[in-house]
Amino acid sequence: MAVVSALSQTDWDDLAQRARRRRLLSQSALIAFLVATTLPVLLPYFWMVAISFSAKSGGVASSLLWQAVSVLIPAVIAIALVRTFAATRRTKTWGSLVIVAVAFGLIAVLVGPRLHLENYRFLWVRDIVAELPSRQGTAGVGTQFPSVWSAFGNSLLLALSQTVIVSTVSTFAGYYLSRFSFPGRASFLQSLLVLHAFPAMTLIIPIFLIMFWTGLIDTVFGVLLVIVTLELPFSIFIMKGFFDGVPWDIEMSAMTDGASRRQAFFKVVLPQVRVGLIAIAVFSFIKGWEEYVFVRTLLIEKSNWMMSLYLFWVADDIMGVDYGIVAAVGVFYVMPSLFLYLFFQKYLTQLNIGGVKG
Amino acid sequence: MARIELDNITKAWGDVVAVEPTDLTIDDGEFVAILGPSGCGKSTTLFMLAGIYAPTGGEMKFDGHVVNEVEAKDRNVGIVFQSYALYPHMTVRENILFPLKFKDIPAGRAPEMVEETARLVQVEEFLERRPSQLSGGQQQRVALARALVKSPQLLLLDEPLSNLDATLRLSMRTEIRALQRRTGVTTILVTHDQIEATTMADRIICMSRGRVEQIGAPEDLYRRPNSLFVASFIGAPPINTLSGNATGNAVSLGDSVLALLGEARGVVTVGLRPEHLQFADQGLPGRIDGIEPMGREILYLVKTPLGDLRVLEAGSVPRRSAEQEVRLHFAPEDTLVFDGASEDRLPDVHAALAEETKKRA
Repeated sequence: MAVVSALSQTDWDDLAQRARRRRLLSQSALIAFLVATTLPVLLPYFWMVAISFSAKSGGVASSLLWQAVSVLIPAVIAIALVRTFAATRRTKTWGSLVIVAVAFGLIAVLVGPRLHLENYRFLWVRDIVAELPSRQGTAGVGTQFPSVWSAFGNSLLLALSQTVIVSTVSTFAGYYLSRFSFPGRASFLQSLLVLHAFPAMTLIIPIFLIMFWTGLIDTVFGVLLVIVTLELPFSIFIMKGFFDGVPWDIEMSAMTDGASRRQAFFKVVLPQVRVGLIAIAVFSFIKGWEEYVFVRTLLIEKSNWMMSLYLFWVADDIMGVDYGIVAAVGVFYVMPSLFLYLFFQKYLTQLNIGGVKG
Repeated sequence: MARIELDNITKAWGDVVAVEPTDLTIDDGEFVAILGPSGCGKSTTLFMLAGIYAPTGGEMKFDGHVVNEVEAKDRNVGIVFQSYALYPHMTVRENILFPLKFKDIPAGRAPEMVEETARLVQVEEFLERRPSQLSGGQQQRVALARALVKSPQLLLLDEPLSNLDATLRLSMRTEIRALQRRTGVTTILVTHDQIEATTMADRIICMSRGRVEQIGAPEDLYRRPNSLFVASFIGAPPINTLSGNATGNAVSLGDSVLALLGEARGVVTVGLRPEHLQFADQGLPGRIDGIEPMGREILYLVKTPLGDLRVLEAGSVPRRSAEQEVRLHFAPEDTLVFDGASEDRLPDVHAALAEETKKRA
């Protein structure tokens, strides 16, 4: 009886009130944490873009950066708040859009007049070093700077070739490893993982020597071979995981339906691992696009420069560091990876290693 | 349509024998069920017929032609998998069309065939959907349509109903059987569910541990099982089995004795089906230990001197209560007696209540 009467005296409104308060508190804490961790990630990119459009003759206008940041930070917080507390999907979308528009407006008003495209002149000037004021008249040995488009082309060639080779080889190898048994299969699988765990940097001198002796040094093809080799073990392993997730039944079904094993593979099995294939392709493209260490070691001739080398020499070699140009080259360098991610985001988020999801 | 013959067919994986030498003949247009517990080699047999597994030995003939080395794609066999194995990236229409892509179909005829088959299994409204947007029963129908669209000479069904709920299973059973009658296609159903086998098939092949135990009409397997395995596997609730030592014309079971009509020695097993045991005024004494209403019938668990027995009585309301003392009676011709060592049935031997047991009232 005592328990019953105690229950009947419970103040339900008070309990509900307390629960509401607790929920509000934990949600605010979560938002504060997310904002605090997001900003350090976001800021460098924001600054890079801001500097690339604003820096003049090497100097960075720090007042401009702070003005821009003073708009950005409130905007990020405001979007976080709207996303969390807006009741309907509509208000969420419209609220965020309004904030973004306001932020852009403010930035345009505050810093707009001081923005310029001067730092992007590397896109249309053939040799940016030669026409630097400080280098006028000096005819140094290392001044012949290649065009950014040649580096862009080289990087694209390397990244695309790597994508094609890695996707093709790891698809077939992954399928074979998943479906067929052969002597040494288990140790082969283990060695794939060991190879992946092995730090590639330790191989750099032997690889240099091999390249030197085989005459592949200073060729894009040589670098391609090296990075494809290093990339393959893990890709094969991931593709094997995806093929493991495709039931035997549908393959057998295709064969009783009249397909040959090859037709069954291309028409029925391959479409099931599309997500894995796209992920492998995107990752190997980006890997090739950002490759620096082997490019730096194995390529000497300027006509063979990749984007990463171009960025390095822009930052290091020429001009007592022109932050504006470095930032602009950085923005240019990041673009393809960024577009690729945005375009394939849908598939990449479905990726869970070792299986097909969704 | 085809007549299927298996002549000494064997399948082994290394040292493990999945299917021991097996002889089978399935007539043109027949509906046959291969029944057995999991791991008995029934699916292996099915996949050998489909051409997915190659037999280790023996010959497999379709209409008298040896097909051992004919590839799966050329056998013109339709198969419905337990998982249905629909192609997830294709619509229902594309799924059903798929087998026709590999055949010489007169131009423009294929879409019509897809529509016809879809109508046959009643999925014509779902043709543009993906398999993931269909219920289990609808997926099942699509799988059937895909197997039937190319007019196969042999239709193989691998546990096709096991992923459906009970009501749907019942109606699909009837539907598949009707469909088979209409198309006349030779059909082999693989199942571990005796009800599925007995209700759908003309003949049942009962398998256990890679061996064919018995082939026959459903009622043969029920009434005249060759072995203890078949007797225990067929019939629900399962048969009561009592093991004891036979001495010529009597067998001692538990604390009591049964008379034997016919002669047997050594260890024997006596089988009494629950539906063949009746409550009576006289006979085997016992005490009711449990009551399980099954809808149309009541299953009683009865402790007797012979051992614990399941007894089935018609009616939906229990007429007896727990702990009640009862008497049980059975007809000797309904009893099955098996040799203890070989587990084969002794066809001329039956069991009956001993005279002294009968007299006690």
